[in-house]
Amino acid sequence: MTDIADSATDVVDDVASADDHAPADHGHDDHGGHHTSLGLSNMKLAMWLFLGSECLLFGALISTFLLSKARFITELVAGNPRVIESIPAGLAEEFIEAGTVEPIYDIPFTSGSSFILLMSSLTMVLAHKAVSEDDDLQTKIWLGATALLGSTFMAGQVYEFTVFYREGIEYGTSLYGSAFYTLTGFHGAHVTGGILMLLSLLVLAFRGKLKSNRAETVELVGLYWHFVDIVWVLIFTIVYLIP
Amino acid sequence: MAEQTADVAAAHGHAHDDDHGHHPTERHYWIIFAILAVLTAVEVAWSYLGLEGVSLWLPLLVMMVAKFILVAGEFMHLRFDTKIINGRVFTWAFAASLLLAVAVYFIVFAAFDTVFA
Repeated sequence: MTDIADSATDVVDDVASADDHAPADHGHDDHGGHHTSLGLSNMKLAMWLFLGSECLLFGALISTFLLSKARFITELVAGNPRVIESIPAGLAEEFIEAGTVEPIYDIPFTSGSSFILLMSSLTMVLAHKAVSEDDDLQTKIWLGATALLGSTFMAGQVYEFTVFYREGIEYGTSLYGSAFYTLTGFHGAHVTGGILMLLSLLVLAFRGKLKSNRAETVELVGLYWHFVDIVWVLIFTIVYLIP
Repeated sequence: MAEQTADVAAAHGHAHDDDHGHHPTERHYWIIFAILAVLTAVEVAWSYLGLEGVSLWLPLLVMMVAKFILVAGEFMHLRFDTKIINGRVFTWAFAASLLLAVAVYFIVFAAFDTVFA
C-alpha cells in the first residue's frame, strides 16, 4: 500500500516537474497552465475527455443496474424459484411484499455518506483556491480534509457491503447483488483512486513542492474528485431513493 | 476565413481571462455547498413522503439534475469555462459525452424491451 502511495506521489511529482521544465515558448500563466494556440490547457482538455469517457462507463453501469433490478424484482414477484432461492427466504418475502428491494437499504445512513462526499467537494475546491493563493497551511488542511472525508465515505461503503453480505446478498448468487456490487464497487474504486491522488498531493505539500505554479495539478485532481461526487449524486437518487 | 482567424485570436486573448480571471470567493463556495446540502435533505425527505409514480421520481430527478449542474458549474468551474468561437470547449466536451451516456441508457433499455414494452 505504501509502495502504491509512493508511486502515485512520484507520478504526480513528475507531472508537476514537467510543468517546471516546459519549453519557454509555451509559457505559463500564474496558475501553472500552458498557453497553447487556442488558449486551452492540454492537460485539462485531456482530463475533461477522460471524464467524458467515464460518463459512458457509469452510464452503462447504471443502465445495467436498473435493468437487472427490474428483472430481479419481476421474476421474484412472479415466483421464479431460481430467483427466490438466490437470496435468503426472509429477505425474499420482504422484497415480494414491498415489490422493491428498498427494505435492504438504510437511507439515513446512506444520506449521511452522501453528505460527507458532498462536503469533500467543498473542501477540494477550497484546497484548489488555497494553492492558487500560495496559502500552504490552508492547502494542507483542505487537502487533508478531503482525503479524510473520502476515506470516511469509503468506510461507510465497506460497512454497507458488510451488512448486505450478512443479510445474504452475495456478489455471485443473485442478479441484484451482482449489479449492485458492480455499480457501487466501481464508484468506490474511483473514490479510492482519488484518495491516493489526494494523499500524493498532500505529500508534495508537506515537502514544500506544491505552490501556485502547480495549481493546475490540484485542479485536475479536483476535477476528477468532483466527477466522482457527481456520479454519487446520480447513484444516490437513482439507486437508493427511487424504488 | 480571416474572420474566423480573428475570432480565434480574440478568443485566445480572452481565454485565460475567462479561465482564470474569475475567482469565486470562499463564501461563494460555502453558499453552493449549503444549497447542495439543502437539496440533499429535501430529496431524502421527499422519498419519505410515501408518494408513488411521477410525483415521487420527477421532483427527485429534478433535484438530482440541479445538484449535478451546481457541482459541474461551480465546483468544476464550467460556468467560467474558456470560450472559443462562441463555444465553451470543456462544457461541450463533457456535455457531448453525457448525452452519449444518456443515449446508451435508453438504447440498453430499448434493446432489452423493458421500459418501452
